[in-house]
Amino acid sequence: MRNFIKNHPQQAALVSIDIPLISNQSVLMNIALIKQYHENMPTAKVEPIVFNALQRLNLENIAYKRNPDLNNEERFFVMLLRAVMVRNALVIIDRPFKIIPHLKNIDYIFQALKNIEDLYVNCNIYDYEWMREKYGELSK
Amino acid sequence: MVILENIGCAVIKLINSFADIIYFAWKILIRIFNRNTYTSAMRTVLIDQIYFTSVQILPIFLMVSIAFGSLLIGVLFLQLKQLGLTQYFGHVLMGLIVTEFSPFITVLLITLRSGSAINTEIAVMKVNKEMSALEAFRIDVINYLLVPRVINGVISIVLLSTLFSVVLLGSGILFSSLIFGMSIDAYSNVLLNSANFSDIIIALLKSIVFGFFIILIPVRFGLQASHELTSIPIVVSRGMVNVFAAILTIEVLSLIIKLF
Repeated sequence: MRNFIKNHPQQAALVSIDIPLISNQSVLMNIALIKQYHENMPTAKVEPIVFNALQRLNLENIAYKRNPDLNNEERFFVMLLRAVMVRNALVIIDRPFKIIPHLKNIDYIFQALKNIEDLYVNCNIYDYEWMREKYGELSK
Repeated sequence: MVILENIGCAVIKLINSFADIIYFAWKILIRIFNRNTYTSAMRTVLIDQIYFTSVQILPIFLMVSIAFGSLLIGVLFLQLKQLGLTQYFGHVLMGLIVTEFSPFITVLLITLRSGSAINTEIAVMKVNKEMSALEAFRIDVINYLLVPRVINGVISIVLLSTLFSVVLLGSGILFSSLIFGMSIDAYSNVLLNSANFSDIIIALLKSIVFGFFIILIPVRFGLQASHELTSIPIVVSRGMVNVFAAILTIEVLSLIIKLF
């Protein structure tokens, strides 16, 4: 994973429990921040983009919530949407079951990734060997 | 011998800490004057910070200014009358109240409210690994988090100390009329004749320096937090002690500049 990030420093977009959301900002601002900072996009222009992305995952109702008010799924998807805001994002999901521990398998995350597949270039998931069974067919 | 060694250690520590703050201040100053710092994200943080520091505090700040200002002006005018120094009240008002007290009281209020809050906020962000999150997304922590807070400190102190002066001069109208039987016109004339341009410039510069350091120091100490929750109160108390030391140092330095 480190090598991947090293080889794609501008596109690597991490989703990890070690890369938390900014707690004093709303979900909206956490996601918008990436485009505001990297592309200098004004707030008025970036907000519709963020709302559109949230709507795709049926999360528009959490736009003004902050990190402590989110449940595990919501937190994961906000981290994912933040990652896909990186230009030509190469999304790296690091141990997703650490963020959503009660998930039985990866299908739920795959469905979400499918809903926003035009927002990123590629997605890699890294996890422990002993989590293999949660990935089903994909791990073979 | 041990005492000497301890004193030496303390002095070296103090010099290192001072050098560290000055180096950090230099780094922030360079970013402030760099056009690339002012991204949309940074501007959003700056506006939020000005709102939190200058706008949210307004009701309390106005109440404190009116209460404290009226008391101060009332007592001062009464004393001047009793001592037969009525003719100097304009100089006292402009030289002492506007250029010395206003920035000092404002800086104390803002330090207590926003300086401590910013110190804690930065320390909590460090403990929660939020700084690492920003770095992971190639967001410069100095540009995005620190520069807007420091600029906000400068803007807020200048604006609020001006407001404090206006409130004080406003109460002066009431008390000059009650104590000296002076009309508004006469009062304005006395003030204009007593206003010294260099004093106002020094007061303005002092407010800018105050605003810069009362946010810079808490930010610097907040960044020194480790990844343990117990480090938060330590860096906050260290930061606040250093801020008050800085306030006194700036106050003394401005007095020395004024003397020459």
